[in-house]
This record gives sequence, structure tokens and C-alpha cells, in this order.
Amino acid sequence: MSEQTASSVRYEEATKRYPGASSPAVDKLTLEVPAGEICVLVGPSGCGKTTAMRMVNRTVEISEGDVLVGEDSVRDREPAQLRREIGYVIQQIGLFPHRTISENIGAVPQLLGWKKDRIRQRSSELLELIGLDPELGDRYPAQLSGGQQQRVGVARALAADPLVMLMDEPFGAIDPINRERLQNEFLRLQAEIRKTVLFVTHDIDEAIKMGDRVAVMREGGRIEQYATPAELLMAPANEFVEDFVGADRALKRLALMRVRDIHLWEAPLAHVGQATAEVRAKLDSPDVEVPFPLLVDGERRPLGWLSERDLGAAVVPGRPDSPLGPVLELDAVMRDALADLLQHETQYAPVVDHAGRIAGVLSVEIISEFLGSPEAKSDEHPAVERPHG
Amino acid sequence: MAKGGAGMIGQLPLASFTGAIEFIFSPQESNVTGGKKVGGFDKSMELLIKHLEVTALALAIALVIALPLGLYLGHRGKGEQLAVGLGNAGRAIPELAVIALVAVLIGVGLPNVAPVLAILGIPPILNNSYVGVSQVDRATVDAARGIGMSETAIIRKVELPIAIPTVMGGIRSAAIAILATATIAPLAGVESLGDFIINRNVYGENGLLAGAILVALLALTIEGSLALLQRRLTSDGLKVKTA
Amino acid sequence: MGNPLVIAAVGEVGEGFIKERDVGDLCQAQTQHVFCFDWARENIDRFETPTVQHLQIVIPALAIGFVVAFALALLAHRTRWLQPPLLAATGILYTIPSIAFFFLLLPLTGLGRDTAIIVLSAYTLQIIYRNTILGLNNVPAAVKDAARGMGLTQRQILWKVELPLAIPEIIAGLRVAVVSTIAIATLAVLISAGGLGTQMYGSNLTFPTSIIIAGAIVMLMALAFDAGLLLVQRLTTPWRRAARA
Repeated sequence: MSEQTASSVRYEEATKRYPGASSPAVDKLTLEVPAGEICVLVGPSGCGKTTAMRMVNRTVEISEGDVLVGEDSVRDREPAQLRREIGYVIQQIGLFPHRTISENIGAVPQLLGWKKDRIRQRSSELLELIGLDPELGDRYPAQLSGGQQQRVGVARALAADPLVMLMDEPFGAIDPINRERLQNEFLRLQAEIRKTVLFVTHDIDEAIKMGDRVAVMREGGRIEQYATPAELLMAPANEFVEDFVGADRALKRLALMRVRDIHLWEAPLAHVGQATAEVRAKLDSPDVEVPFPLLVDGERRPLGWLSERDLGAAVVPGRPDSPLGPVLELDAVMRDALADLLQHETQYAPVVDHAGRIAGVLSVEIISEFLGSPEAKSDEHPAVERPHG
Repeated sequence: MAKGGAGMIGQLPLASFTGAIEFIFSPQESNVTGGKKVGGFDKSMELLIKHLEVTALALAIALVIALPLGLYLGHRGKGEQLAVGLGNAGRAIPELAVIALVAVLIGVGLPNVAPVLAILGIPPILNNSYVGVSQVDRATVDAARGIGMSETAIIRKVELPIAIPTVMGGIRSAAIAILATATIAPLAGVESLGDFIINRNVYGENGLLAGAILVALLALTIEGSLALLQRRLTSDGLKVKTA
Repeated sequence: MGNPLVIAAVGEVGEGFIKERDVGDLCQAQTQHVFCFDWARENIDRFETPTVQHLQIVIPALAIGFVVAFALALLAHRTRWLQPPLLAATGILYTIPSIAFFFLLLPLTGLGRDTAIIVLSAYTLQIIYRNTILGLNNVPAAVKDAARGMGLTQRQILWKVELPLAIPEIIAGLRVAVVSTIAIATLAVLISAGGLGTQMYGSNLTFPTSIIIAGAIVMLMALAFDAGLLLVQRLTTPWRRAARA
């Protein structure tokens, strides 16, 4: 999908001084982000992370030092030209209300002078990529939900195939449920397109989930630790990092795993109209892991759990007694999956793949078994490798 | 000098203005009425006060009618069509027609003219009081209701103070509109500074310009005073940005 | 009728208004009536020229007023400190009653249409200027931030983002300006500029039918322009309709 390779981003003692301020907002920041990686800048409010991010596309001008994209200094470029090569996603999204979704997505390509056909094609490509109905292309932003708008914001940033993406708390304004979904989707996307991303957040959990590398910052844009999430959790550099990461580091390690990384249990599956006797037979089998039958449709998508009463009939009913409860995704991060399970107070939750088909069942028991296993206790955590793809 | 405006073009602008200023302060020999002196400070003041009187009277009538109504409708959130529609329609009314019709159909003199002038002032006051009050955050109003304020108290103590800038804006518009129309009130038998302008066969070109200057100054003064009043009435918390 | 004060007050104002009213026998029985239908029917075409004259004053005045106010607003949008003084300056021009303004300009620009146009343009400046600034200021900061970060130049942001989004406010101001100007232009008769005021003044001062017809034309004209501008706004801002859907 990428026509050009992503570029690295390098800060070389980059400094930003605001007139009248006693100390610099960003003080001699030196940092390298390898091409194709997500680098998360995380820290408390006012630490300068957003300012640092904005120095890359010069929406904040650099006072001293330099920032290089690839091998070129951003200071040598004309700002507007530079920005057209860098994707920019902000928290409040900022879609143009007076333009359709397609026109919003095609904004930078249009600035770059692409032909209309190419723009149109690219817009639909991206709509598909971000998981939106291509029909929405002709709607206006006000007609979309917050989550949809944010996706369009990301698509807009990707439209001209930028070298670098800047994302400033992009999912901050979204409700927690959709935020999780968007985060997962973005990671899925990133696995395909491999852009260099500078991601700013104040949420350490998001940083750990999203980042290939995480830079923990304090006032003045000073980096306290720049490392992989696993290192951050297992070997915090100092007290500040330790405090910022939080006391629940062990639990946070669950953020490094995906649901697909663990061995899921299987529930006996039942189809509508199937003879209940068959289902009972499955239940009685000695190696059944989940003692409840799961009703699925023709596509193996879960519809609900069957109760004793349901099985009382001769044939499996279309509408099961028990509701489905939370449905987890294979790609979801383990920490989020556990949170869902605990919140809904369910013992078992069906896990589906990205097409919605059943892949297994997760339970709290599975997770706690895993946490107690020798595998999990070792320092060499197998999930250090970023679970992409 | 010839009658009518043709003579004006012959004079240098500066000379005209000096002539007008003189007119305001001391009685002039008028070439038109054959030697009788016209103008002067006393006369100017007399007409200025008359102008103010009719303006104030009409404004008062307009306020009494439109302000409570607008505040009430805005508070209830009803009658938007009326308030806003009247505001728009009112702007379209040609004042000359109004004055002329009063003179012919109703009669001349202050008792007839003042209420009609008030009609010109009602639309902006009604419109702005409605808009000002209805735009007050409903949450604020609910909170006030919640602590037990009566409806009238809510209007007086919560909505009106917040709506002051908009409401005063409407009152200012009304005042200026009435003041401007009062200038042609002499056509309906009410004396005002417009006398200088309309009766040019009596007051001459100097009087004409003097009248215009006085009306302009009066308007600016009234507007300025009302603006100051607005500032005094606006609570500090609202003075965030200038219009 | 025939109030001496009224008739004496009317001086000669030069061309542009009808000195003699050709009533004849038509409305004799109805002189006391408010509206004389017979006369109206027979004489409706004498309102044509005044209407055209009225438009010849109003349209140039609005065009000039809009262009100047718009330019000032763009200037003040970029140079913030200009905003209060410009608001004050346009405010003064707005506050001075047009009648007075007409005569203040007489020594400088003389009688006739040009003076009327100048005064009426000056009158519209404040409302158009203020609404344009308001519209531009109301553009959400996030939209401007995104536009800048995406690589639009200042000029592109102004013309492609800010102004289109400010259209509703700008047109709102324009509508008020248009309606007010059409009404005030009736006073142009006082400086021999023609217009529908001619049918309300001079000997027409005492003839209600003429006043009413002329007044009605003025108000209908205002209504038509207002509706037209509203239509323009609807056509140029399709996204606002969609949002409501």
C-alpha cells in the first residue's frame, strides 16, 4: 500500500522557548524514532509532549536545535509544503464541516495537485481501510458519529501517503468503548501500512498498548525513559517513571498480550433448528471445557447462550434464553478483555475474529491460570515482540 | 442665494460648516424671510429639547409595550415567529410613510405622533429582548427554578442580567430609529430639530446644515450614553469580549 | 387635511417628485377615505420610475457597502488590534441618522443620487463588518488547527475554510442591511435623488393612497430581497441542511 517508505524522525537538541516564559517548553530534546514504528510521547499535562510533536511539522516553530525527517531538516522546508507530507490528527478531529467526507479525505491530495480520479479512488480506498461504508463518502461530518469522525480524521491524515504521522491524543474525545475499538483498528492498520507515527497521550495504558517505543516525559520535554513498553513495565528507570506507570505494573503487563496469544477454550456449538439431543451429546462429552452450548448462525457468528430450558425443546430455538454478554475480539489486548469480563460479571465470553466468527471462549479462569503459570512469571516475557499482524 | 439646494453647491464646504456653526449659536439675518433673525442658541436648544422630548416619550411607550412582552415570550420560549418576524418587518417600514400617514389620517401634534413613533421602536426592542432572554442557557434557568425562584424572579434576577447586552442593543437601536424619525416629525406638526431641515424657506441653508449637525451630534450622544449605561448594567462576569 | 403647518413646511426640493397630483374627480367622494382604489388602478404605472430610481440608489449602495465592509473585515481579521477602532468608526456612521447625514454631505457632494448612495453605503458598513468578523471568529479552532497542520496556507485557510463557514453570519448581516437600506432610501427624496419617497412627499404628503402604495412597494421590495438572500444562503451552505436531516 505504501508507495514511499516511511521516514525516521530525529530530534537533535530541539528546543522551544516561548517569549516571557522562565524556562523552555521543550529543552534540548534528543530522540530518534525509527522508520515504521509508533513512538508514543507520554507524560503529565504541560510536560511539552504536544509541543514536541508539533515541532515536527512546524505548527510550533523550533527555537534552537533541529528536527529531521529522514535526512532532511524540517527547518529547510517551507512550512505548508512540509505539512502536506506529514499526516496530522488532533483530538478534536477538526474535519471541515462544509465538505463531504470524501472531500475531507481528499483535502491534502487536492493541495498536492492530484488528478480528480486518483483522489476519488484514494478516498474510497481509505474509507474501506478505516472500515466505513463507502456510501458515507457523500455525507457531511455532522451526520457521522464521533467515532466515525475520528476514523475519517485518520484517513484524511493518511490520504497523501505521508512519510510521518503526528497524532495528538487522537482518541481522547471518544467514549471508552469506541476508543478501544479504534485503538485496535489503528494497530491493525499500522501492521499493514507501517508508517512512522509520533503519538501523544497522557494515558499510560494507551501508551503501553499503542507504542513500539514509549518516551516518558516530564516538564520541559525531558525524557525520563525511552524504551519498549515491556522494559518500561519491568525496569522503570527511576521513581518518576515508576510513579507514572503506576503501581499495578503486573496487571499492566496484560496489556502486552492479545487474546489470540492465549489458549482459548471451546464451547459446544449449536445451530438453530438442530436437534437438542445432538447438543446434549456434545455437552456430555468428557473433554468439554465450557459447560454451556453457544448458539451460532450459519456464518458461525455467536447469537447467545443456550439454557437448560432451551434444551428442553426438541429443536434448538432461534432466540436463546441467555443474552450474549460481552463479545471479545481476537485482536483485543488482554487487559481490555479482562476488564470487559470483570465489568459484565460474566464467567465466559465468546471470542470472535475480525469477521465476527467464533474463535473460542475466554474466561477469567484462563487468564488467572496463565498469570500463575511459569511462563508468565519469567522475566523474559515471550510477548516482548510487538504483536503485529 | 437661490432657494433650495442649488445654492449649496456654489459655497465652499468649509464655509458652509462655519456658517452652520454660527447659526447654532447666534441668530442670523436670514435672506429668505426678509430680514427677520432666525436661529441662534436659544432656538437651537429649544428645538433640541423638543426633539429629545418626543424621542423620550416614544421610546418610553415602546419600552412599556415591548420590553415586558419580549422578556416574557423569551422566557417562555414561545412566540419566536412573532418577535423575530416583527423585528424583520419593522426594519422594512419606511419612516416617511409613517409620518405622512399620521399627519393625514390621524392628525397632527404630539399626542398623535408619539405613539406612532413608538411603533417604529417596538420591533427592535421586542426582537432583542426575546432573543436575549431565550438564548440564556437553559441549565442556568433550571438551576434557578430548582432552588425555588419564582418565574418572575427568574426573569428579573437571572435572565435579564445575562441578556442585558442584547436587550440594551435593542433599546439602543430603537432609540436611534425613533430619534431619526423624529427629525421628520415636523411634517406632522411636531417640532424638533427637523424644523431646521425641513423649513428651509424659513431657516435657510445655514439652518439646514445646522439642523443636520445637531441631529447627528444628538444621536451620537444618546448612543454613547446608552452604551455607557449598558456597560454599567452589564455584570463584570459577562464582559468577556466586545461586540 | 390642509393643515397649514404641514403645507408650509414643505419647501421645494427640486426634481424627483410630482408637484401636481392628478386626482380630478376620481377620489372626490373618497378624499376622506384612506385608500382610493380607482386612483390606484389608473395611476399604478406612475410608480414605475420611482421604483427604478429606488433600485438605482439601493443596489449600488449595498454593493459598495458590502465590498468596503467585507474588505475592512478581512483586514481586521488579520490585524486584531484594528477591530475595536473599525467597529467604533463604522458604528458612528451607523448611528448618525441618514437624514442628517444626507444634509451633512450636501456641501461636499451636492444634491442627487450620489450623495444618497454614499450615505446609505456608510450606513450598512457596521452591520456587514460586524457580522463578517463574527462569522470568521466563530469558525471552530479545531478546524483551523487541522487545516493549518494539513498544509493549507493562510490565504487558503481564509478562502477555503473560514469564509465558507462564515457565510450564514455574513448573509444574516447582509439581510438586515438590505432591508434597512430599502426603507431608508425613501428619504432620498429630500435631496432630490428620486426613489419611492417621491410618492410620499411634496403634494403626496396629503394623499394617503399614494403613500400607502409606495410604502407597500418598499416593503415588498425589502421582503423580496430578504427572501432572495435567504435562498442564496441555503444554496451555498448545503452542509447545514444535511446536518438537520
